[in-house]
Amino acid sequence: MTKMNVQECLARFRNKDVVILGKILKEIEDQTALGYEILKAVNTGWGNGHIVGITGPPGAGKSTLVNQLAKYWGEQGKEIAIIAVDPTSPFSGGALLGDRIRMMDLLKYENIFIKSLATRGNLGGLTASTSDIVQLFDAYGKEIIIIETVGVGQVELDIMNISDTVILVNVPGLGDSIQTMKGGIMEIADLYAINQADRPGADESVRDLKMMIAEFKKTGWVPTVTKTVAVQGTGVAELAQEVERHRAYLQDSGLWSEKRKARNTKRLMDQVEKLFQQRLQDGIAADSRLGQIVAKVAAGELDPYTSAEQLFHTLFR
Amino acid sequence: MTQANERLFNQEVVEKIEREKKRWYEEKVKFADDGAYTTESGIPIKLIYTPDDVKDLDYMKDLGFSGEEPYVRGVYPNMYRGRLFTIRQIAGFGTPEDTNQRFKFLLENGATGTSVVFDLPTIRGYDSDDPKAEGHVGAAGVAIDSIEDMEALYDGIPIDKISSNIVTHLPSTTVVLLAMFVAVAEKRGIPLEQLSGTTQNDFLMETTVGSSLEVLPPRASFRLQCDAIEFASKTLPRWNPVSYNGYNLREAGTTAVQEVACAIANAIATTEELIRRGNNVDQFAKRLSFFWNLYNDFFEEIAKCRASRLVWHDVMKNRFGAKEPRSMMLRFHVQTAGLALTKVEPLNNIIRSTIHGLAAVLGGAQSLHVDSYDEAYSAPTEQAALLSIRTQQIIQVETNVVNTVDPLAGSYYVEYLTKEMAKRINDYIALLESKGGLVAAVESGWLHREIADYAYRQQQDIESGKKKIVGLNYFPSEQQNTEIEVFRYPEKAEAVQKEKLAKLRAKRDNEKLEKILNELRAKCHEDVNLMPYIIEAVKNYATLGEIQNIFREEFGLWQFPLV
Amino acid sequence: MSRKIKVVIAKLGLDIHWRGALVVSKMLRDRGHEVVFLGNMFPEQIVEAAIQEGADVVGLSTLGGNHMSLGPKVVQLLRERGLNDVLVIMGGVIPEEDHPGLMEAGIAKIFGPETPIDAIDTFIRERVPMYN
Repeated sequence: MTKMNVQECLARFRNKDVVILGKILKEIEDQTALGYEILKAVNTGWGNGHIVGITGPPGAGKSTLVNQLAKYWGEQGKEIAIIAVDPTSPFSGGALLGDRIRMMDLLKYENIFIKSLATRGNLGGLTASTSDIVQLFDAYGKEIIIIETVGVGQVELDIMNISDTVILVNVPGLGDSIQTMKGGIMEIADLYAINQADRPGADESVRDLKMMIAEFKKTGWVPTVTKTVAVQGTGVAELAQEVERHRAYLQDSGLWSEKRKARNTKRLMDQVEKLFQQRLQDGIAADSRLGQIVAKVAAGELDPYTSAEQLFHTLFR
Repeated sequence: MTQANERLFNQEVVEKIEREKKRWYEEKVKFADDGAYTTESGIPIKLIYTPDDVKDLDYMKDLGFSGEEPYVRGVYPNMYRGRLFTIRQIAGFGTPEDTNQRFKFLLENGATGTSVVFDLPTIRGYDSDDPKAEGHVGAAGVAIDSIEDMEALYDGIPIDKISSNIVTHLPSTTVVLLAMFVAVAEKRGIPLEQLSGTTQNDFLMETTVGSSLEVLPPRASFRLQCDAIEFASKTLPRWNPVSYNGYNLREAGTTAVQEVACAIANAIATTEELIRRGNNVDQFAKRLSFFWNLYNDFFEEIAKCRASRLVWHDVMKNRFGAKEPRSMMLRFHVQTAGLALTKVEPLNNIIRSTIHGLAAVLGGAQSLHVDSYDEAYSAPTEQAALLSIRTQQIIQVETNVVNTVDPLAGSYYVEYLTKEMAKRINDYIALLESKGGLVAAVESGWLHREIADYAYRQQQDIESGKKKIVGLNYFPSEQQNTEIEVFRYPEKAEAVQKEKLAKLRAKRDNEKLEKILNELRAKCHEDVNLMPYIIEAVKNYATLGEIQNIFREEFGLWQFPLV
Repeated sequence: MSRKIKVVIAKLGLDIHWRGALVVSKMLRDRGHEVVFLGNMFPEQIVEAAIQEGADVVGLSTLGGNHMSLGPKVVQLLRERGLNDVLVIMGGVIPEEDHPGLMEAGIAKIFGPETPIDAIDTFIRERVPMYN
């Protein structure tokens, strides 16, 4: 971005300039200094936006479902943001982002903004910058912020931390996925969608899922299971209404603000930790004595505990 | 009727040859046959082929004679002595009047049939005045909006005497364009039985090979494909209502094996559907035709042509119980590979296309289009198009190649390859069936992935130099860009077409048309053939785009599964 | 943190041939860039996508003869929205004679059918300004 000053950016941002929104998002994604300056200025703390995380195995039709949900809310005039996350190639560091192409319906809505994001090596299923991006959308005035990510195995923790409502999308007949769900993923989802519900086995999948939910019920919210056929739009309104019902629940129960407190605290701690990490690396690089300590620990000549205390005292006292 | 295998070769002699071959390998051959050589589609090639590679060859069962089962040696007894392959050069650009002139030029200079391609808006079903058509009208093909355009296109062309190839690509626009063509014939008082020609009509073109902004669901496109085929089988006895398009599949990214397998799988699905509708296989199968690519691997491509006939015969006879000989004959048109041509050193392309053309003839093609050397630049100039015709005429009258049937039969290599390719084609057809059939394989995006992966690997092979292309990565050209005359699309086409449309819409009986279109809408949801309703609509001056919009609204749009 | 070049690639207008555009998209990914493959889009839609994605590069693919009518429009719309730094490149079958006109209209470079991926990769790395 040509050298813009922060004030100019902020002014245009507050003016709802969508071009500057796109640019700032890129700065944040690339974790530049300018990006952080903007984030400092637009902190909303108690964000009003409803953050909806959608995850599930590849091929479940998540993008199509997101497309339909966004359309449903978009038609009502709501301000929607979609963050579509795809994995970065571990070999090249690049990514082919293929979610936007599944949301062509949404092109005509001025109130819907789609951002494709690559994980950039982050193993949690989201990216290091996702919560900042959510923050920015929230500050921009987006009412519903949908995050879509591929959930395979145990990578859902990020999405659980960042979202208010988590939807797990699956397809019928994937018997083993029910097994996988027993491995802990069950606990993170607030809502379940069985997509491609026109395929055989849909009703059985719904029934199995409901039985399992009954076993794992933890808080006062009982996750529901909605059948959808995303390509046709079937079940979308029902699912959207479940999302809204969950939002009401979160607000009534106080969980809404609790989640925000937890999130804000986490962002603070994460950022401090990052600064610590940076200082540690810089410090070791700058001081050869410290570098030697590290090398000796690596060689087994010094123990890590004494050395850690040494490093800590030297750098952080 | 099974008969004992009557092997062509004396088995003792074959075993002796095998022993001699072993000796020869050990004594004389310097490099081991290490599997480093394969055909384009991956079939390992040996250093030498001998009778033991085809020791089970039973002449009467596996080869027979031309015009007799299993038709491997050719579909007609006299082959080219009886009828030379049709020299068919594609024309299509600008307004219908512009293309009409090119038709006349080609016919005067030796072309024996017409072949027309359409501009993108026509192919994908947008009228020339649709905002999406802007910038595309008359470019890379002719613009057809209404029956009046179809009349102008074939003005003065004897469609009752020569064959008309109408490269419609997609079923959704085929049904309309075919309806227009039929309506024009009726207006001219030509009995429909006299119309000979082909419409391409391939749902893979609509939903796999080519992408677009708005795509019909594969099932709907397939339904329309079958509607056109069924209609033609009853009213247009000399018409090939489908030309299963292996060519474009190949260009998009498949091997020769996949090319044929997908096309035949489409024909299998078509046959099953038409039988479901109550038709008898011998009623329609004889008019199912095919369209092959002809790429670089000379012998593989020839073997492909022969193998495709072998597979088709088996499918029609043994799977569907066809009785009529013509149902079991696979007839095909060939276009030489555009993919093989380079932009750099374009004159090299003349050599390439000539070799491809020769292979097509040795493979027994019924008609041929030889690509022009400036293919990588734009649509061919008159000069380049003429050279393509000359290439074919030279093959026809100067080389003597056409005067005996299937001259490569009996070649150990070619017979081996033919059999091997037939096997692999059948395997791939079975693979598609395991995915639920071709339509399901398309709906799920499976076929798209196969194609995209192959295209990606091919490009990597070119960039790494593994796949050698002369002038490109093998002795790369040092020439600066060659000066060749490039064909310029006439720019006025859009304005002209828009004006025509305005006039048309004003003068037609819009009330009457609306009723007809509403009926068409309703019929979309019934299990009936839509052709009669479409013909009625075009006769009353419905435009192509208007009918397409009805399809889009009634069948819904489909997310093209590309990434 | 390292900055990555964001590329959006579109099939221009009604052009049907997707092979080249998808292969180039994958190869640019292999070179470490982040690529959004847009499928078929018209200029207005392409620009909206470029805005939302914060694209550094817009790639247009066409073999259909619509390059003159639609290509420059993309550049024009980008500039109108203040996106003067976004690089617009084209690929496909585009006659040499039209290249000067397209470059004048703001297309940064045209890559013909046989362009090795190296050429595209090098070009965008050189031309996309990397600010810290």
